[in-house]
Amino acid sequence: MGWSDFLLKYRGSVLGYLWSFLSPLGKFLVVYYVFGPIVSAEIPFYALYLFLGLIIWEHFTVTTMACMNMLEDKAMIIQKIVFPRILLIFMVGWTNLLVFFTHLFIFLLFAWWAKVPLTWALLYLPMIILQMTLIALGIGMLLTSWSLKYRDIGHLWGIAVQLLFWLTPITYKYRLDGTVWRSFVGLFSRPLPQTLPAYADIFVNFQPMSILMNDARRVLLYSDVSGAPSFTHAAVSLLMCSGIFALGVWAYQRRSPYFPEEY
Amino acid sequence: MSEIILSCSGIHKSYAKSFLTAAMLQERLIKWRLHRKKVQIDALRDVSLAVKKGEWVGIYGPNGSGKSTLLKILAGVLRQDSGTVSRHGTLSTFLELGVGFHPERKAEENIYLHGLLQGFSPKEIKKMQHDIITFAGIESHLDLPIKCYSTGLKLRLAFAAAAQVERDIYLFDEVLAVGDAAFQAQCIAYLEQMKRDGKTVLIVNHGLESLEYFCDRIVMMDHGSILSSTQTYSSAVT
Repeated sequence: MGWSDFLLKYRGSVLGYLWSFLSPLGKFLVVYYVFGPIVSAEIPFYALYLFLGLIIWEHFTVTTMACMNMLEDKAMIIQKIVFPRILLIFMVGWTNLLVFFTHLFIFLLFAWWAKVPLTWALLYLPMIILQMTLIALGIGMLLTSWSLKYRDIGHLWGIAVQLLFWLTPITYKYRLDGTVWRSFVGLFSRPLPQTLPAYADIFVNFQPMSILMNDARRVLLYSDVSGAPSFTHAAVSLLMCSGIFALGVWAYQRRSPYFPEEY
Repeated sequence: MSEIILSCSGIHKSYAKSFLTAAMLQERLIKWRLHRKKVQIDALRDVSLAVKKGEWVGIYGPNGSGKSTLLKILAGVLRQDSGTVSRHGTLSTFLELGVGFHPERKAEENIYLHGLLQGFSPKEIKKMQHDIITFAGIESHLDLPIKCYSTGLKLRLAFAAAAQVERDIYLFDEVLAVGDAAFQAQCIAYLEQMKRDGKTVLIVNHGLESLEYFCDRIVMMDHGSILSSTQTYSSAVT
């Protein structure tokens, strides 16, 4: 069946696209002028580092929000027609993926212009995009499953996203040295931290979005120094993202038959 | 003719809605066990219905008697609280005409979208596209987005798109005949053709007359249960 065409047809308009680009651009300008002078010395290609972080973050937030908004936009269809409701989620995923590709294209143009050394590690990029989509849709589905029943989930998520923005190394440096796994095991050999910031630090280091963002930068900005992530790293992080996605699918499939009466 | 194609038994359905506009997670977090006043409406109480192959059943009753809820449960849009539904054929549901039409797009694109939503492949849609446009009689409006159509024209397109869907069982919710007199005649002729083809149809409608004209059996509903089920005159003739 031609569901993929269905997805394509519902793509956002051109104006919607311009908006999607203005938002990360605005953030970029603000953060760059505030943080730039402080951290530029520490992070090579800071402008691109920030830009890449922002477009990945934008993809994450917009996709999760769009999953919830989709319920409102497609209320008619959900209430009147019988079809697998998960297709709507794939539709959201596909639309936002297209938007992300255009952002990525602009990033690559800038990277080329700034003479960033690009290597074969670039081939790892599809893996990153796959993981991004899995995380964003997985969390999007978890939120969407209950956002009709509890109408304020959308607002609460908006606040959570602002907090998470600063708990993800977008504007500042990702401080983890060595492999993620070794550092994670290392956590248990040390005594438990006593302060809240220390816990926040651990969260920043090991949450999936941080790892994903760091991988993206390794591949796109610093591949001449760091090379592509190892096979084990790729497998474990893919497994983690698939886990989030699977959880989302499970919740969504259980909850979606009740959507029509929750409006 | 006696084969049962669609049936349900012992269907219960109740809606619980709270008086407040919407539930909030924050309330749930503040008061962990919240007992808010709720209204409970029993939309359906122990409803059983069996439809034979080729039979046309009309469902009639006042507003709020559970007709549409029953149709939605048979279609699978809503989930019943208890009871079972069994379907032995492909099903097409029209709870409303023109669901999924996008006002900014042209007729052909909307036919395409409509077809996809009904589960057809692009090839099949291409084949029926021409029939739909001729049936609706909108050849002169093809290059306009459907937001420029008049209400009647839009309904004609919607009915045409719905009518071309080729299935065993059809569920119609108050979508018998639309448009002006000429188009209504066309719709009626089409429905009669469907009847001759041996399609199974369930119609919810307020007009008892048209139900008596088309249906073999009329089911009366009130307060969520079936009151009576009577054979009509037209079925006795055929």
